[in-house]
Amino acid sequence: MQRRNFLTLGAVAAASAALAPALQATDFRQTKPDAWTAKSVDDALKALYGKTLADATEAHVTVKTPDVASNGGAVPVDMSCDVECKTFTLLQDVNPESCVVVFEQNDMTVPKNSVKIKMKKSGSVYAVAEGKDGKLYFGKKTLEVALGGCEG
Amino acid sequence: MRIKAKLKGDVVKVKAMAKHAMMTYDIAQKKTGSRDNANFITHWDGSVNGKVVFDASTSQFLSKNPIVKYEFKAAGIKKGDKLVMNWVDLKGKKKSGKAKIK
Repeated sequence: MQRRNFLTLGAVAAASAALAPALQATDFRQTKPDAWTAKSVDDALKALYGKTLADATEAHVTVKTPDVASNGGAVPVDMSCDVECKTFTLLQDVNPESCVVVFEQNDMTVPKNSVKIKMKKSGSVYAVAEGKDGKLYFGKKTLEVALGGCEG
Repeated sequence: MRIKAKLKGDVVKVKAMAKHAMMTYDIAQKKTGSRDNANFITHWDGSVNGKVVFDASTSQFLSKNPIVKYEFKAAGIKKGDKLVMNWVDLKGKKKSGKAKIK
């Protein structure tokens, strides 16, 4: 009887231990600190996924921004991905650091996000999706920024 | 934090706005003379009924008072359920907000 109790306890403990990470959100700033100080898109991707833009396929991901943003302090960016992915990252190539936001995906989320970002000057934004198949997909959009947004 | 959540078909659409200065290192350097005064939201999460539906790690390049829009699947979620969102910034300040899904 005691042994049975012990086994049940062990099973419950194992089950809750397996469940815990699923509910726990990952803070990519802690798990991938290098990605947030990377100066270029390729360096940030290397830190996040161990790959560069050259390894990614330009497909499945769409990025929408205005062609000319009047205010660099708040550039609206819509990004979406039509394949199932693990993470969805937004990067740009004009600010001091490249990485803007990493959305972690689980079975509840939909890879379709809109954010407003700062851009120092005209440049490109990249949305990179890490597919469940392990491949990287990206979408790119080049825009003009009339008034830079990093001066404050 | 202002949150609007709307159930539409099989997805819930959410629009959230956080009140935060989102001071970048550059602005902090210019305005206060020290990069260490920079402060911005670093991590967001959102959950309904204990299930994580939104999770984002962000850098200083979100706009001031950033607005984030996202969607999640409405499987098992009905109108009136509560969406809880939290953010935490670089200095460790936390804020949470709640909204009923309409």
